[in-house]
Amino acid sequence: MNLFLSQVAAIAWKDFVTELKSRELFGAMFIFALLVILIFIFSINLSVVKASEVGPGILWAAFLFSGTLGLNRSFMLEQENGCLMGLMLAPADRTVIYFGKLISNFIFLSIMELFILPLFMIFFNIDILEHLLPLLFVIFLGTLGFCALGTLLSSLASNLKYREIMLPVLLYPLLVPIVIAVVRMTGQALNGTPLSGMMNWIGLTVSFDIIYIGVSIMTIDHILEE
Amino acid sequence: MNFDAMKKNQGESNLLIWSTAVAFFAAMVAIFIYVPTEQTEGVVQRVMYFHVPSAWLSFFAFFVVFICSILFLWKKEREWDIYAHASAEIGVIFCSLVLVTGPLWARPIWGAWWVWDARLTSTLILWIIYTVYLMLRTQSDAGSMRARYAAVLGIVGFLNIPFIHFSVLWWRTFHPQPKVITNEGIGKGMDPTMLATLGVSLCAFTLLYFLLMGVRVRQEKLKDEVDQLTREKHYSV
Repeated sequence: MNLFLSQVAAIAWKDFVTELKSRELFGAMFIFALLVILIFIFSINLSVVKASEVGPGILWAAFLFSGTLGLNRSFMLEQENGCLMGLMLAPADRTVIYFGKLISNFIFLSIMELFILPLFMIFFNIDILEHLLPLLFVIFLGTLGFCALGTLLSSLASNLKYREIMLPVLLYPLLVPIVIAVVRMTGQALNGTPLSGMMNWIGLTVSFDIIYIGVSIMTIDHILEE
Repeated sequence: MNFDAMKKNQGESNLLIWSTAVAFFAAMVAIFIYVPTEQTEGVVQRVMYFHVPSAWLSFFAFFVVFICSILFLWKKEREWDIYAHASAEIGVIFCSLVLVTGPLWARPIWGAWWVWDARLTSTLILWIIYTVYLMLRTQSDAGSMRARYAAVLGIVGFLNIPFIHFSVLWWRTFHPQPKVITNEGIGKGMDPTMLATLGVSLCAFTLLYFLLMGVRVRQEKLKDEVDQLTREKHYSV
């Protein structure tokens, strides 16, 4: 078990070091998320619609779109210079690669979200500090589900002909349930509903996370096979 | 595939063709002549006898994709990949039929082509998922990789269905339920003649599924055989 964890940590750490050296991904993700929010703000009239009603949807659209940039890069980076082959040749289980990538994707996206949240608060004039803990919990569940399914499909898409196009096309329809759930929950959390008031949504999201991490563990062997 | 096996297959598919033809003839007679016109909805209600069987067939086909995908990853036999592929194609076609016949009925009855009701939304998402499944198959070269990727998507996609169902259901219950949808359900107690017609139509569509499956699977196997023969020819020269 200890070996497994240290192997996972090594892969995640490798991704961080690469990112610290190149600083390509994070800036692009952040600016892209900001742009998505801006475009949505142009398309709606905030003096007519209630900010707390459209806000959660826009926030999650920004998270998902910029998160896809990160996912796209996650395995594509390994395609260059045959790095993926190197990873697969390492004396470790395939699930190690999956979990390492899952963790690095999750942490990149979470950091980006922590930067976006204050801007969201300013742009939409919503006080998120009041209900910060439920909000962070909801964002954690949603991001985990997004990364669990996203990492699996990213490993799959990286071998396709049109990989940049195929990843969102594969991913978004499958994400519909969790997107509906987190948008609802974020809206409720911002309105002050306690977590106990949205147990059905939490149940759906948690089971989504668990089932897709489980499916990924079972199927990753078949994807990363040469 | 040797000649005897082909002959035997031919005999079986002949039986299937004839029984499907008879079932469809019976269904057409039942739908257009036997069953009385619905009192309030009028003649357009007859589209239901195509709509419901198509929906049943597409869900059944997607379930077959799921089972065959699991079996493929387990056994790694090309056979299961062919079945999953054929079934997904049939499922997408009938899912499209559901999405076409639905608005045809909804426009005069609800007064709108489309309503963002739970059932409509989940059917649309399902259609997208399996269209993407077929797209994925065109994206990689034939062989073990394509089959493995498609199988993973077949499993992931089918497991998504309960999540889609509950999320769109709860998503909609926050709004006033469109009361028209209750008129549609079988639960309201249908006239026995209507139920019988629907039953015949369901049988006919299910037979059609197996017929199409047979044709498509045979086609794919022959394609494999042609590929193999071409390769042999190239190497022998």
